[in-house]
Amino acid sequence: MGFVVTEFIPPVIQEKTACPAGTVLKIRDQYLHDLPEAERARLSLKENEKELVTKWQTSVFGPNNTNICSQPDMFSRPEMRTVQSKFALGLHLDGGKDDSCEHDEFTTPDGQTGIDNQEYRVMGCTLEMRGTDGIKGDAAVGMRQFHASGEWTQVILLHGVDSLENDPDVEVIYANTPDRPTQDSMGNFLRGASFSISTKPPRERNVLHGRIVNGVLTTDTKDIKLVQTWGQGGARDLRGNRSKYDFRRGKMQLKFQSDGSVRGMVGGYKPVWDVIQSASIGGVGSALVAGIDCAQYLQTLRKYADGIKDPKTGKCTGVSSAMQLTAIPAFVNDIPAAPAIAQRSAK
Amino acid sequence: MMTRAFTRKAVAGALLAASALSFGMTASQPSPSEAQVAAPAPAAPLQIVAMRRISEAQYRNTIADIFGPDIRVAGRFEPIVRPAHELIASGASDAAISPTGIENFDAMARVIAAQVFDEKHRGQFVPCTPADAKAGDDACAKATLAPLGRYLFRRALSDSETAFYTQLAGEAAAKSGSFWKGLELSLAAMLVSPNYLYVIERAEADPANPGQMRLDNHTRATRLAMMLWNSGPNEALLKAAEEGRLTDQAQLDAVASRMVNSPRFEQGVRAFFADMLLFEKFDDLAKDPVVYPYFNQEVAAALPEQTLRTITDLLLTRNGDYRQLFTTNRTWMTRVLGPLYQVPVHRSAGWEPYDFKAGDDRAGILGQAGFLSIYSHSGRSSPTLRGRAIREVLMCQPVPNPPGNVNFTAVQDIHNKATPTARDRLQQHATDPTCSGCHRITDPVGLSLEKFDGIGAFRATENDTPISSAGTIDGVDFQGAEGLGKLLSESPATTQCVASRALEYAVGKPAEDSSVIEAMDKKFGASGYSIRSLFLTVATLPEAWRVKGATIPDNAKVSLTGTNLAGRAASKR
Repeated sequence: MGFVVTEFIPPVIQEKTACPAGTVLKIRDQYLHDLPEAERARLSLKENEKELVTKWQTSVFGPNNTNICSQPDMFSRPEMRTVQSKFALGLHLDGGKDDSCEHDEFTTPDGQTGIDNQEYRVMGCTLEMRGTDGIKGDAAVGMRQFHASGEWTQVILLHGVDSLENDPDVEVIYANTPDRPTQDSMGNFLRGASFSISTKPPRERNVLHGRIVNGVLTTDTKDIKLVQTWGQGGARDLRGNRSKYDFRRGKMQLKFQSDGSVRGMVGGYKPVWDVIQSASIGGVGSALVAGIDCAQYLQTLRKYADGIKDPKTGKCTGVSSAMQLTAIPAFVNDIPAAPAIAQRSAK
Repeated sequence: MMTRAFTRKAVAGALLAASALSFGMTASQPSPSEAQVAAPAPAAPLQIVAMRRISEAQYRNTIADIFGPDIRVAGRFEPIVRPAHELIASGASDAAISPTGIENFDAMARVIAAQVFDEKHRGQFVPCTPADAKAGDDACAKATLAPLGRYLFRRALSDSETAFYTQLAGEAAAKSGSFWKGLELSLAAMLVSPNYLYVIERAEADPANPGQMRLDNHTRATRLAMMLWNSGPNEALLKAAEEGRLTDQAQLDAVASRMVNSPRFEQGVRAFFADMLLFEKFDDLAKDPVVYPYFNQEVAAALPEQTLRTITDLLLTRNGDYRQLFTTNRTWMTRVLGPLYQVPVHRSAGWEPYDFKAGDDRAGILGQAGFLSIYSHSGRSSPTLRGRAIREVLMCQPVPNPPGNVNFTAVQDIHNKATPTARDRLQQHATDPTCSGCHRITDPVGLSLEKFDGIGAFRATENDTPISSAGTIDGVDFQGAEGLGKLLSESPATTQCVASRALEYAVGKPAEDSSVIEAMDKKFGASGYSIRSLFLTVATLPEAWRVKGATIPDNAKVSLTGTNLAGRAASKR
């Protein structure tokens, strides 16, 4: 039973109580916001726009040609607006383990408690994730394009499924494929296409074990890695390199739908750096063009980190995270078994 | 590849920027000196009995065979019109070329010639070094152009032709200051000559039947090559023609036998079935993307290939029975087609065999999306078009065209809840007595394929109403493509049809003598309906090489070894 992932986006609940003060301020607005009232009023005048632009743009640079996105550790920034609602989508990840750090848990709109999603708590009020008034954020739009390109395309292959309602023993292959999905004229992926799983770098193949209970497939906790290719550039020597989705102690939770698709979540703990990786790779452009304050994001993420505890410091270095996933039926060819290695002659 | 016959010799030469156009003459407009050079050839007891324009595929294959597959053929080919209920091969016998078509051929010829004599390739085709690369060299030009002309014209050039093309090269070289540009222009002129663009069939007196005519050796070589390999004759065939071996029945049999057992026969079989099954319809195939999201240009390109692979795999690779084309569950699949058929495809690229499960209604080529989509409308299926195609294309039973004033409202109203399925709509339409006569012979056949929509994708319902795949042909009831395929495989009409089409394909006109077809079909059956056997029969059929009708009057004869201009010059005298 195979599927190709059609939707892989940060789960956002559009509700007024999530970000009561509005979305996270862009650098320009944050700069104005931090000024004394009189100065803020002066620079807000149209005739002072040029001065304002010069000043806020200057603020993104540090010494030695550093900038707020390429070297976010070098900048001290105020904490960003975070999600205030008690509702979020996600997974229950910590499971009572003692390697988590103190954090509040969310509840899903349908009443599931214990949801760990600190990435959403921190990033859920950014314009990139939330969008505006019912319009999906850039993250959701961009993700679809990445998955359609064959760069990130993900497939799921289930082995040993005897019942879609209850089955205690299911093997889940969750992998990347180099094959581009076939799309209709509206850009929708077509059902019944064939894909091959490839482990040829940079692609990944995760083998998970799971169980189906009441039509919901949940996998056991295990690290999950998936391809993630961001743009080139940046000063962290990531140019030309490929990053990964790195879900530590990850799991999937998928519900079988009547139309043959599956919908649900995949998540785990992400290193905090990974959350801002895309913006950081964008370098100064992310700050000047998109107005993203990478340093602010990073500092806030560190504050709310709830996983990947450093055994030396005892501090958490990752945030619980989840992606909303939809997958439609597909034919998935797994990689053939590795050929047996010829035995070396004893002589 | 014929190019191996040429001595490989590196020839250094400067590339000139000047194009052939700057010479003040074009390949299709011979220089004034042509008439002077092209003296009439010695009279030969031959008559032109037919001229058939070569197809795009034959043009491309010939160029690839002579010059190599890396020589690019770029341009638009004027299509050959298919006569009603006939093959394009028959249309080729009446095909003219419009002025625009000639311009296109001229442009293509120049592109080809420029590649042949560029620095990368000229060493393969020029067996000599010009005395001066900046001037003409008649000896070297002749040594280069005469062998190429022999392959292009499918016979040795006459002395006058050789002199003409050599002189053309010399004059062009003088004007351009480049020996290579001269060769280019001369070769381009050959490529737009009727001697290349048309297969000129010639007849000679038949010594075994005094007073009768038969096709001569070179015509036989060309017909064998075009029919069986869809290309011009190779060195062996030309040599056989030059030695007069192809008018000897035993030697003709041996040559034809070798040709149908060659891997190149697949090229010929593909061309034949593309013609018989009206594959030119794929060129204009368009579907509504909203109605059919699974259809796109990649799918459109893959569909004819799937059917041709099915045909060649069954008939050639597995040496199967032609009748199994209507029942086989084996086809070929590619990633592009997988979603349309909703089947897994293992290979990320290329084609792989696929066997539909026993009992699957995808039996035979009638269950393939290629046939089903070209005989449908852009937004709906058409039992009438499908039924008509089965009658006309596969059974050679022509169906009259509908009258011009037909009211199609009932069949086009596909969202009418009172007539949710095509069967319902056609029943209403067929109540009109002016329509029912033809629909009676097409619709009961085509309705059996209604579980396949307008692109050949499976569907169980239409407008939420279950679809029936019940059909009737010639009074026999059946179910679905599988039932239809079984009946067609048992029908003598299908084997007689392909036999007559094969003969038509070879001779360029519809078969007229039903007794010949019946005899061919009998032999076809005795061979287990082997397509190799059928084409071997056609290729060696004595009747196919005879020329019927009165001999052409002397004053209408055209010189066969000179250019057309030479012929005209001779007749004026």
